[in-house]
Amino acid sequence: MRGFGEIAERLRRSTVQVFGSRRQRGGGSGVIWGSDGLVVTNAHVARSDQAEVELWDGRRFPARISARDPRRDLAVLRIAASGLEPAPPGDSDRLRPGELVIAIGNPLGFAGALSNGVIHSIGKLPGMGNQSWIRAAVQLAPGNSGGPLANAQGQLVGINTAIVNGLGVAVPGNAAVEFLRWGPRPSLGVVLRPVSQGLLLLEVDPNGAAASASLRAGDILLSSFDDLNDALDSGREVLRLQFVRGWPESGRARIREVFVRLKARAEAA
Amino acid sequence: MTNELTALSNELAGAVEQAGRTVVAVHARPRFSSSGVFWRPGVIVTAEHTVRREEEITVTLPDGKNASATLAGTDSGTDLAVLKAEWTGPVNARSAADPVPGNLALCIGRSEDSGVNATMGIISAVSGAWRTWRGGRLDHYIRLDLTLYPGSSGGAVINTSGEILGVATSALSRIAGVAIPGATIDRVVDEILARGHVTRGYLGVGLQPVELPDHHKGLIVLTLERDGPAAKSGVLIGDILVVLGGNAVSDTEDIQLALEKHPVGQTVEAEVLRGGVSRKIAVAVGERPRRN
Repeated sequence: MRGFGEIAERLRRSTVQVFGSRRQRGGGSGVIWGSDGLVVTNAHVARSDQAEVELWDGRRFPARISARDPRRDLAVLRIAASGLEPAPPGDSDRLRPGELVIAIGNPLGFAGALSNGVIHSIGKLPGMGNQSWIRAAVQLAPGNSGGPLANAQGQLVGINTAIVNGLGVAVPGNAAVEFLRWGPRPSLGVVLRPVSQGLLLLEVDPNGAAASASLRAGDILLSSFDDLNDALDSGREVLRLQFVRGWPESGRARIREVFVRLKARAEAA
Repeated sequence: MTNELTALSNELAGAVEQAGRTVVAVHARPRFSSSGVFWRPGVIVTAEHTVRREEEITVTLPDGKNASATLAGTDSGTDLAVLKAEWTGPVNARSAADPVPGNLALCIGRSEDSGVNATMGIISAVSGAWRTWRGGRLDHYIRLDLTLYPGSSGGAVINTSGEILGVATSALSRIAGVAIPGATIDRVVDEILARGHVTRGYLGVGLQPVELPDHHKGLIVLTLERDGPAAKSGVLIGDILVVLGGNAVSDTEDIQLALEKHPVGQTVEAEVLRGGVSRKIAVAVGERPRRN
């Protein structure tokens, strides 16, 4: 069967290596989205403002991060290159469990490695909100993150993102299309950790919506992760959040309220 | 680029879709759910090791709805549990042909959050009847070279046409997943639906294989359960069992095979050597006490 080799060869030309500002070993992967230098990768691969991208032919370019959506774990990079070969897009809504898939990436820094398997399932992940994820029975390793997951026709159907219980987890390709069209979904600009009382703010981005509403690290939002995600995706511009500042050793904590104005979505690319 | 690869991919997805209509998620343990298959109308089989409670069991049906299920019975020897739940949908289509090593196989499971799930690999070995380490007997040993993820156990092992070969379990072998074959499931389901459990013959003796001076082999009785079937029939500690049910016995597997041919309550004739003298003893086969 001539299929996989041909697909892999084409897809390799649309797959890049992404390095952070400090040259980390390994780094992550990325997918060429537009021939004029548009690259999509995971937000956790492109953490800093600056990154470097290496193409399949060895050329290296500095990259500017033009948009990030940490909640969807997607980021858009721009490099000053043209004539690139973008990955042909597929429709991730039509994926079915059992379909053959192929993943290309740079696992553990090994460039252009191929792994194949089948779609395991498509749907929600426990504790990851209402958004849909693709789970694929393919062997991934750190460094595959941000790279393409393609179907038997070689069309991009997902962005490989994580490994959960040995299964590859990918952001559906259609979510990446939506991200490029509408920009990052509204976020508070915080790093959260679930605690028994609610959600503890570990970090607050000084330019984010939470900081503008004078929330601080150490505050505890009285909400569940799923409820907060639903509220952020509800389309409302202003959210009313209840929180507690300084949990007392004894007695009842005073519940405070804050109004958070979310930033409007802007085009990512 | 329509090619063989796309055709194969579509065939696999079609097989998963077909088989998935009979596969449920089983919620009978903490954390991970497991999977189960509608074997007959209203009758679900799953892997016994994933059923950790006897009450408040629910299943997620192929249409995505949750329903309560009752535990009809379990057989830890073959790692099978039988549940009952109301369902008017289809039951699985059985494969007429036996699997052959190298055949592609898929394991189909279900979870509440993401519906049907699939993994693919090959049948890596097939052999005749096989005694599990838990004491049960499978009609075939079908070893799977495919990854069973948490939640896969109890799922349907199918061929690329969507026909079921058996039910997957990770608990019967350390080195690989195993498909419990359809013939075994039929047998166990029949017995569980009739009696609530699978009965096994029992003599109430502890045996050690020994070699006899004439180079024959036998099994010496080292322990004897008080008032057990053998003790009641007059077997003594120190007797050497050489024939059971008309067949020479040289190890405990022979004993289990002989007992499988003699249902509980039937009498089996044993020949023992006592003080070098052969004598025949009729033993009424008892029922092996079950754990839990």
